[in-house]
Amino acid sequence: MEQDITRRRFLKTLSAVGGGAAGATVTAATAGVVRGAEGPSPGSAALERRYGREAGEWIASCCNACGGQCGIFAHVVEGKVVKIEPNPWNPNNYSNISTDFFDNFDPAIGVRDGSSICPKGNAAIFSLYDPDRVAMPRKRTNPEKGVDIDPGWQEISWNQAVEEIGAKLRTIRDAGHPEELLWWSEDHSFTHPQQDFCALYGTPNYSNHANLCDVARKASFKMVMGDERPLTDFVQSKYILLFGWNPTSAIKWVHLPRIITKALENGARMVVVDPNLSDTAAKAQEWVPIRPSTDGALALALGHVIVRDRLYDEAFVKDWAVGFNEYRRLVADATPKWAEEITSVPAKTIERIAHDLATTKPAVVDVWSGPGQHSNGVQGGRAIALLNALVGAMDRPGGMIIPDKRGSKWSQASPEKPIEAPRFDGLSDLPWGHSSGVYGRGFQRLLDGSGPYTPKAGMCVFQNLVMSGPGSTHVADALKKLEMFVVVDTSESETARLADYLIPGTHFLERYDVNSHWVTWSAVGLRQPVVGGESQASSKYDFRGGIFGQMAEYEFVAALGRELGLKDRDGNDFFSIGAISREPIVSLTAWYEEQLSNELKTGAPGKTLDEMKALPGAVWVDEKGTAYEKYAAALKSKLVLDADGTVWDKPADDASRKQVAIVVDGVLFEKPEADGGVAVGRIIADQAWFTDGDKLLDGPKLEGKKPKQIGYAIGGTDPRRGFFTPSGKVEFANAKFADKSDLTGTPVDPVPTYKPRDWQPDAEYPLYLINWKEASHTHTRSHNNPLLMAIQGSNPLRMNTATAQKLGLADGQEVVVESQYGSTRAVLAVTNAIHPEVVGAQHGFGHQAFGKVARGKGSAFGDLNRMAFDPISGQATHKEICVRVRKA
Amino acid sequence: MATSPVSRRDLFKRAGAGAVVGAAIAHTAVAEATAPVRKHHWGMVIDTRRCVGCEACVIACKIENKTPPGVFYTVVTKEPLAGSTTGKPVFMTKPCFHCENPPCIPVCPVNATYKRKTDGIVVVDYDRCIGCRYCLAACPYGARYADFGDEYDLLPMAGENVSPEYKQYRERVPGQSPIGNARKCQFCMHLQDEQGTYDREAGRWPACAKTCPGHAIIFGDLDDPESEVATILREHNAVRVKEELGTEPSVYYLL
Repeated sequence: MEQDITRRRFLKTLSAVGGGAAGATVTAATAGVVRGAEGPSPGSAALERRYGREAGEWIASCCNACGGQCGIFAHVVEGKVVKIEPNPWNPNNYSNISTDFFDNFDPAIGVRDGSSICPKGNAAIFSLYDPDRVAMPRKRTNPEKGVDIDPGWQEISWNQAVEEIGAKLRTIRDAGHPEELLWWSEDHSFTHPQQDFCALYGTPNYSNHANLCDVARKASFKMVMGDERPLTDFVQSKYILLFGWNPTSAIKWVHLPRIITKALENGARMVVVDPNLSDTAAKAQEWVPIRPSTDGALALALGHVIVRDRLYDEAFVKDWAVGFNEYRRLVADATPKWAEEITSVPAKTIERIAHDLATTKPAVVDVWSGPGQHSNGVQGGRAIALLNALVGAMDRPGGMIIPDKRGSKWSQASPEKPIEAPRFDGLSDLPWGHSSGVYGRGFQRLLDGSGPYTPKAGMCVFQNLVMSGPGSTHVADALKKLEMFVVVDTSESETARLADYLIPGTHFLERYDVNSHWVTWSAVGLRQPVVGGESQASSKYDFRGGIFGQMAEYEFVAALGRELGLKDRDGNDFFSIGAISREPIVSLTAWYEEQLSNELKTGAPGKTLDEMKALPGAVWVDEKGTAYEKYAAALKSKLVLDADGTVWDKPADDASRKQVAIVVDGVLFEKPEADGGVAVGRIIADQAWFTDGDKLLDGPKLEGKKPKQIGYAIGGTDPRRGFFTPSGKVEFANAKFADKSDLTGTPVDPVPTYKPRDWQPDAEYPLYLINWKEASHTHTRSHNNPLLMAIQGSNPLRMNTATAQKLGLADGQEVVVESQYGSTRAVLAVTNAIHPEVVGAQHGFGHQAFGKVARGKGSAFGDLNRMAFDPISGQATHKEICVRVRKA
Repeated sequence: MATSPVSRRDLFKRAGAGAVVGAAIAHTAVAEATAPVRKHHWGMVIDTRRCVGCEACVIACKIENKTPPGVFYTVVTKEPLAGSTTGKPVFMTKPCFHCENPPCIPVCPVNATYKRKTDGIVVVDYDRCIGCRYCLAACPYGARYADFGDEYDLLPMAGENVSPEYKQYRERVPGQSPIGNARKCQFCMHLQDEQGTYDREAGRWPACAKTCPGHAIIFGDLDDPESEVATILREHNAVRVKEELGTEPSVYYLL
């Protein structure tokens, strides 16, 4: 029944088939004189049935042309995808606020006014059928490695690939040093089996893309409000202040253009602070050009005015923030005049923006990777994030929302013996390091041998490290040090050129995944394979097969796991045993389907994979919707405390209840103290809680377990959700931060004092070089797609008109861009739409490999940078480059 | 009749010379005698305030209509307004305007392009078009493109390239129409039902409007007072491009 409803949108007009016969008659009668008014003459009804909109199937799925994972329908006719359209049941395609979504939602058709997909999703078919795709596993025959050196590829069978790679990995593991395997992965796609593999193999060195992207923002918001990825409620906001973020163009979630333009239509004012007049700044009422990396100073000056003029939300600050006096002292000297010197933003502009921001309700302030990808990005972002606390925007409508992250449920496989080796990149040295690792530090250690050990093998899945890591040549040189480097990719990327084995990857239309969508309430979408289905006969492993009969990434990893006989703590062959059935499964695909089914069934949707497929749009959306001011909600313990001091997980009438603790003098022990029981909680407000200090947890904090924080005992006695910070409140300051040092040995500043970034322009290299993303491309990944190249085929270097005049350079001219580390050529675009001290371009172009369409188009600037990262979060500092520009 | 794409290009170059203009007179007479009643007036209101310049419409259109390299039924302009000091662009998607007085039509020497009386859509009959490109020159909006026979390079498993245009489902074959013809937006007319109406809920809606991330492209029947487009035009000041030419475009813009 549900399926019928789902398909209604596409099946309703079956009667249309064969229409237009009358037109054909008119045409025939007047041939040679006039055309039929209804013409041109249609083809036969048989053609319409074979190729029309009702032909074949429309399969609900999720896009992965970028990490945004929006909902799609794929139109599959005779085994080929012919069109991708928006999925109107998926909130990710419409809004990130539940009322905005449900108000326009009809269960039969999805959102009434239709949803959207971006150009990358629309164009994805051309990537699926890209003739430069890697179809078969390849083995290198040329021992000499370089991006511009022919690897001398030899095509090999899947069996040979799995056996040879497996043999090398077995040797490393058998020698007792599994940590000598480094692993790089994309951060949203099929990450779980890769993490499971690393855990069971025994390497701590699983890393992913996030530290190239937004871990500075994550650290900033985590320090301020204890949540690393709050989401902006644009649609209900009346004043939107953005620092270095281009959400209407660097789209990611396709709801962003709609909710932002809708807000503007509803009368919101949008101000965009950016050195470049981004496409988002073009939609804003005001563009504020700023010197790169000085955003933190501007934020402090805005805070100065708001505090000076007592425009802040005093009730929120009093009840829900700590450290305000320290912050007040910090901003006392951060006058607009002071900030003008640093940022180049006029003091009177700062005064005006501060007043508008603080007096227009609701207002919201956000920052992303523009300021973030600098060596001072974390503290600068923190100063920006705090503006939300000043204006009372935290978790309120039109403000900065803490998302409900419940989605699919996954916990990493437990190895037979715990991993003891430290991470190669020394992640734990960073005070706000992210679980994604520190790519730059790993590469540096690989290159100069300064790490704790010498890695022997590397596995790179769905990543182009050479082009996406700052310092491309150094990254390539580092990767050359590995004895075996394996790349899994759809394309022969610059990184793949360095591989010993290149394993074909899948396009998203050929594989599964489960996506917890980035909207403010819980929603989970399913990706499913819509083409392929015939695996390579030569493989000893049974799997579904993509369009070349190739394994999906998760199947390749599982095959390697089987080859190595990896077992979990219970001695099970993890990559063979079904997650639900607990029985051995032959097919790699069926094994993964059960993994996903288990994640969905035990997670928020509570549905099996097949049940998910049957949902309209193959998306599960929580009807509960967005909740606001969650921090203030009083919490009630789910644990049951009996009069005799026993603590149970469920009420007495539930037969399945288990005892989880006993109480002694108000303290919860997991078992009697005499038996070595550990304290895991205490009685607060007459309720039993698992705790860590004043933090309230969803389980006991014991060795090997990672309970989630669910709340906070404010003042030690008042159980609330609070903010997941050490104090349970928003932290304007935290004196304990200074107990931790960043990688330079400097104690972390308890308040977000402005510090200039490390690399500053000088007489020799006087210009800032920045880069950005736009709707037309995904990172370095989409440039072999001729449709996307048709809308954006290169990335000219923007330079301000006055600067070009001073340097005697003209629009369209070829120039050389040089830093102290490297140089590249670019074509100049002279414009007023960029700060006079800055040059910049869209990121991702300048391929040396990847395919015939991509190669040689536009400029890559990675070699002008160092392999640099910020010392607090490990964020790659892509935007911290100084250059000079001269005639070519 | 030559069949290779190369010779069709030659055809482009030569075709204009011998055009028969007199046919237009007969066309008018017969057309008036047989004219069906106007049932709809399909048109668009494009809200430039909602357009973010992403060009999803451009790509969705190319996939829907299977157009070759160099052929675009809609484009997005990103020009600053005259006198702008910052260079701040105004984004604007620009399909065919399906003018009420289309300058592209009278110049066609073979009556291959005409405006449908029933719904105002300006179409091209590929079987009749000789590829002279007079219409490309006559359109004041640059909405028409010549199909030079270029192809995208895709894997064989992408299958044959079949365009649903005009419900003709033509397989793209070298030397055959629409290669060598003038091509243009037809409001995804192949998605109409036999009554000549569109069904948005069933996805039978112009591809550009169906995918627009900013919801900037509003499509509908300008003659239907209940339609969203008609309502917007009643309630807002909309403009049309080059109004002074008297072309009476069916596509309006909100600024």
